[in-house]
Amino acid sequence: MGKRRGRLTNGVRHLREQHAGMSQQELADRVGVSRQTINSIEANKYSPSLEVAFLIAGVFERKVDDVFTYSTS
Amino acid sequence: MSFAERTLWLQVAALVAVYGWFFSAVVPGHGQDIAPDQVVLFVIAAVALAAIMAVGLSILAIVARRDTTPDERDRLYALLGTRNGAFALGVAVFVALVTGVAVAGNFAFLNVLLAGWVVAQLVGVGSTIVLYRRGT
Repeated sequence: MGKRRGRLTNGVRHLREQHAGMSQQELADRVGVSRQTINSIEANKYSPSLEVAFLIAGVFERKVDDVFTYSTS
Repeated sequence: MSFAERTLWLQVAALVAVYGWFFSAVVPGHGQDIAPDQVVLFVIAAVALAAIMAVGLSILAIVARRDTTPDERDRLYALLGTRNGAFALGVAVFVALVTGVAVAGNFAFLNVLLAGWVVAQLVGVGSTIVLYRRGT
């Protein structure tokens, strides 16, 4: 079976700025990861687990697919 | 830089310093077999590595101040790094076995095995650092 790879992007930084300029550390504390992990997610260098993706979406009171977009090309 | 990444740099520095010193002291003018004073140097190196890591980790944990518990990204990168290190260790064991067959005495076999372990550690830690720098 062939390997299909897409790209996961997100609007975490944008949503964070919309939420009264929430800091990366504040989001990290609410989700339970390090600030550096939030930074990596925002830079699309790390794709979070489903659990963390749901937790991030929950902080912003959005659906997961409002925050994360998976695209294949 | 996260606490986990700092500990990796500490490991690299400690491994290079301790085993750089060890091999520079043991390899020149060696005989066919391990000498008793070389065993002493090996024990000193092992204790020094453990001491540097214990003190270094304590200092890093104090400096970090925040929670130093690894999160999911730390655990994933550690697993991937360990996989790469295990592959390198497998190659190193094979090279050591060939050395043991090809070279008389136990000096070459044991030191190639030890050097292989050091290289495997560096491969594992180094590849984990690359993951932190470049992402997955």
